[in-house]
Amino acid sequence: MNVELLTLSEVEEFSGNEGNFSVRIKKNPRYVDMDKCIACGLCMQKCPRKVDDEFNMGVGKRKAAYIKYGQSVPLKYAIDAEHCIYLTRGKCRACEKFCPTGAINFEDREKHLSIDVGAVILAPGFHPFDPSGFDFYGYGRITDVVTSLEYERMLSASGPCMGHLIRPSDHTEPKKIAWLQCVGSRSTNRCKNGYCSSVCCMYAIKQAVVTAEHLNEGIPQQTIFFMDIRSHGKDFERYYETAAAKGIRFVRARPHTILAGKNNMGVTMQYTAEDGRMHCEDFDLAVLSIGLEAPEDGPVLAAKFGIELNSYGFAQTTDFEPVRSTRPGIFVTGAFQAPKDIPQAVTEASTAACEAARALMPARGALTHEKTYPAEQDVTSQEPVIGVFVCSCGINIASVVDVDAVAQYARTLPHVGFVENNLFTCSADTQSLIAEKIREHHLNRVVIAACTPRTHEPLFQDTLREAGLNGFLVEMANIRNHNAWVHQALPEAATQKAKDQVRMAVARVAQNDPLRQLKVDVVQKALVIGGGVAGMNAALALADQGFDCVLLEKSDRLGGNARRLAATDRGQKVAPMLTRLIERTESHARIKVLKKAVLRSAVGSVGNFVSKIEVDGDTRAVTYGTAVVATGAAEYQPREYLYGQDERIMTHLQFDDQLAQNEAAVGRARSSVFIQCVGSREPQRPYCSRLCCTHSVKNALRLKTLNPEMNVYILYRDIRTYGEREDLYKSARDLGVIFIRYGLDSQPVVSRKGDDLFVEVFDPVAQLPLKLYADYLVLAAAVVPHDHQALVELFKCGVNADGFLNEAHPKLRPVDMSVDGLFVAGLCHYPKPMDESIAQARAAASRAGLILAKEEMQLDAIKSYVTENCDGCALCVDVCPYRAIKLEQEKIDGRSHIVTDPALCKGCGLCAATCPKEGVYVHGFTLPQLKAQVEALLAEATA
Amino acid sequence: MPEDFEPVIIGFLCNWCAYAGGDLAGVSRLQYPPNMRAVRVMCSGMVHPDIVVHALQKGADGALVMG
Amino acid sequence: MIEIRVGKLARMLGVHRNTVSNWIKSGKFSARPTVGRRYLIERADFIHFCRNQGISEDITAQFANSGGFAKPRAHAAYPVARDTDRHTEKGGGMTDGPIGSVMVVGGGIAGMQATLDLADSGYKVFLVEKSAGIGGAMAQLDKTFPTNDCAM
Repeated sequence: MNVELLTLSEVEEFSGNEGNFSVRIKKNPRYVDMDKCIACGLCMQKCPRKVDDEFNMGVGKRKAAYIKYGQSVPLKYAIDAEHCIYLTRGKCRACEKFCPTGAINFEDREKHLSIDVGAVILAPGFHPFDPSGFDFYGYGRITDVVTSLEYERMLSASGPCMGHLIRPSDHTEPKKIAWLQCVGSRSTNRCKNGYCSSVCCMYAIKQAVVTAEHLNEGIPQQTIFFMDIRSHGKDFERYYETAAAKGIRFVRARPHTILAGKNNMGVTMQYTAEDGRMHCEDFDLAVLSIGLEAPEDGPVLAAKFGIELNSYGFAQTTDFEPVRSTRPGIFVTGAFQAPKDIPQAVTEASTAACEAARALMPARGALTHEKTYPAEQDVTSQEPVIGVFVCSCGINIASVVDVDAVAQYARTLPHVGFVENNLFTCSADTQSLIAEKIREHHLNRVVIAACTPRTHEPLFQDTLREAGLNGFLVEMANIRNHNAWVHQALPEAATQKAKDQVRMAVARVAQNDPLRQLKVDVVQKALVIGGGVAGMNAALALADQGFDCVLLEKSDRLGGNARRLAATDRGQKVAPMLTRLIERTESHARIKVLKKAVLRSAVGSVGNFVSKIEVDGDTRAVTYGTAVVATGAAEYQPREYLYGQDERIMTHLQFDDQLAQNEAAVGRARSSVFIQCVGSREPQRPYCSRLCCTHSVKNALRLKTLNPEMNVYILYRDIRTYGEREDLYKSARDLGVIFIRYGLDSQPVVSRKGDDLFVEVFDPVAQLPLKLYADYLVLAAAVVPHDHQALVELFKCGVNADGFLNEAHPKLRPVDMSVDGLFVAGLCHYPKPMDESIAQARAAASRAGLILAKEEMQLDAIKSYVTENCDGCALCVDVCPYRAIKLEQEKIDGRSHIVTDPALCKGCGLCAATCPKEGVYVHGFTLPQLKAQVEALLAEATA
Repeated sequence: MPEDFEPVIIGFLCNWCAYAGGDLAGVSRLQYPPNMRAVRVMCSGMVHPDIVVHALQKGADGALVMG
Repeated sequence: MIEIRVGKLARMLGVHRNTVSNWIKSGKFSARPTVGRRYLIERADFIHFCRNQGISEDITAQFANSGGFAKPRAHAAYPVARDTDRHTEKGGGMTDGPIGSVMVVGGGIAGMQATLDLADSGYKVFLVEKSAGIGGAMAQLDKTFPTNDCAM
């Protein structure tokens, strides 16, 4: 309602300053009237023009009258002017003839709109790398070489192969498939993409894993050719390990040539293994793991909006302001900012929303609307009078189902007071007609026999509310998606099924009661737990949006781990930023900082939490509506590699301290050795700590700059300098830092001989054991989570197998926790560098701000409730996944009973299904309601 | 069993997956036999065993819980 | 600032829609178009115009209360700038405060998430997408790592 979706639109002109921009937008013609289109698809069926389908990456065809994909939003067809026969050659108009609603409008012209906005968020995405320019991969020439995005569409159940994998050349199932990593990434010879695209390792593993599900016969052989596997995200390493355990072959090599197989079927590939031996192998299909490039129109956008791009064409940002462009009021997010995976893109989208909200804080609510409805009439004492509206949906339903017969039949059903057949029940004029009929015939229940409630129920609920009825007194019978469309050849059976569906809906709606959406008052204050960079950023972002915050810090000073860091990955100095951050946090009028503070208790739910907090020995109570958890993490204290027995052996943070205090002395060293993955990617801690590779590379670079003569060795398992951090890795190699790979089964050995420190390791490229002298040995120690036990018990939130706090959903809700009203940011969620911590903290503030922006919160109406049958057997208490049920110990009428917390309940009904005596129901889905539906069906059903 | 026997199957479909899948089958025009009648539920976990037994007692030939 | 729809205003004032359109075209009624066949007009201009046309104060007030106005929502936590304060100088270089709307360019997963966050926290959002539908690249993916969830 407060979103204006402008499709087929481009920004033409842009001017103004932060807070007040003027934009001119060109809206290209769709040639389909969005108000009239009902997405029946007839125009597409009748359109004679076939075009390569760009959504399916050119695998398969679409028509010139099209929707992008089945679940497209808006679900409205469009005509592609470039290919439409009428628009290019002046003849045809077939779609216009067949469109049942007259929605086709060839008179449509491009429109120009002017809008004023206070801020802009640019999220134009990425451009998939086009490998046609690389002759050695043969893409475009060899039929069985496809890109990963094409492969993705080949796998998709809604794709051109219907989810059944066949190779392009002979349409047989491929048995032996190869993935080639880093196509168009980490490459400066043939293209200019020196960065790592960050996502290809993981998507290739995913594709290899799911391939087996898309084949009918035989077990496929999947091989991934890679340079470094970069599974640095949360739960990614485990995914990689599982894939390897399932038999997916990982080969460390970069094949240099792909040749076509016999008759241009399959491929032949030559590659050099790590030990230097040449191999030649045949595959049925080769998938190129193409990288993410900056969008093609990036430079145009940048010029239009007056922002700067970096050397790779991505938007220029800084580590401390990760979504802020070089122009105030314009924010950049998603893959346009840097190549990134979905969780990161979703998180940083919220970050951008937070920044825009911060900039426009005084104007919050100025241009948004809330709809008002007339008072609801009380129908509880009335006999049901049901109105049935049967939709023809043009000919979508009516061409299969005899809608007149269905309408006629509906008149015979109990309680039905009015029946009508509409051409389009969802049209705007039918809405006013329904409201009219409700008043005229005193209807108090409505059945809509049309399409799916998943898309249309809100519309009809709204219509009822506008007519003064409770929105829950409508029921839909899905006689289109679940009937007419899937039984096209069986009109009689379909008509019978439609009658059954209407009968079931009528029986059920007669049982429907008005439901209330509970409202709870929101305490307009946030609690932020943890005073590190993430916690302070979250608190400031909330405070700048106008919300009060309480910030808890367990130690006696703010700053957390950042106090020990010198510079960010892009070389920005941390200390000055941290000083400013602490100053702002401590002086902000809306932030109350509590040091030496520990959370002791937490009760309540979203909107209303109460906690006891112990501050330096005193206990006080704090009420708050939402909380951001940013408790941080610690550096692993190694037990391996003689750590603690020699002062020349240090962890990263210790070495940073050393460099800060004693740079000159460190610079005099002859040889320094870094060992990666100390405590990470091992059986007892099987996750990647994400930031240590870059940390080591950065420090190695610093040593080489201090003293170019120094020998610097990095002993690694995979170098994971993802994204633009890859530039650092390349500089390090250029400056002569020596990288030696080791395996989990051939770990380095540290020894002392007299006063000298040595590291022994086997070099897999030279195939020789090496003994390295070390003045300094730096251990890239893991990031380990704090013990979250107390927090988990207080808030009933969850941790993953590694002990990091869990998000509600890794992609859809990456900063929300599974408990409503709680948000997570920083290292306590997963190891991450500072820019990502800052972004996540501000994203958490955006999400928390959504709750605080409302004075009261409306809860969903579909919730469990306790009936008088409950006798407190408590079987339901344990099954509730949301811990929304408590056993009330005190007894009423000699019985104990349960109570449900509607703020926690999600209406899943596990309790209702578990209860042996109907002691708990779910609103709208009570046993009597479901029984009424079942009985109505079985009273006279014949299939 | 007569040869022209057509079973009446009652389906309890989770709103978020199976019911949505049914919708998508419609959009994709996948054809299937018209023997099932769907009851939409918010989660297949809310289908009480009683209702399944009830359906079978009242003459349903099969019950399908999908989620 | 008042947001009007031609049809709605015509019904309120008891005139034909074309009459209202003509007023706007001729500049008699100094409204400026926004998206979705809506127009914005200063509150003072609106009242002035109604008075000149001899439209009763009742109808004017009724329109104002029917939701035709873009009202600032009072918020307990901080004072909200008055709409009149903010928009009176519009066109001549507004200086008083920011506009409460945001344009998001790109309807992929990032653009959609930013849009939803902002729309739910009290900002009007214009989501500009160059293709015919939103969804972006994620809609093309079959499944996503590391959970093998369907991308839809």
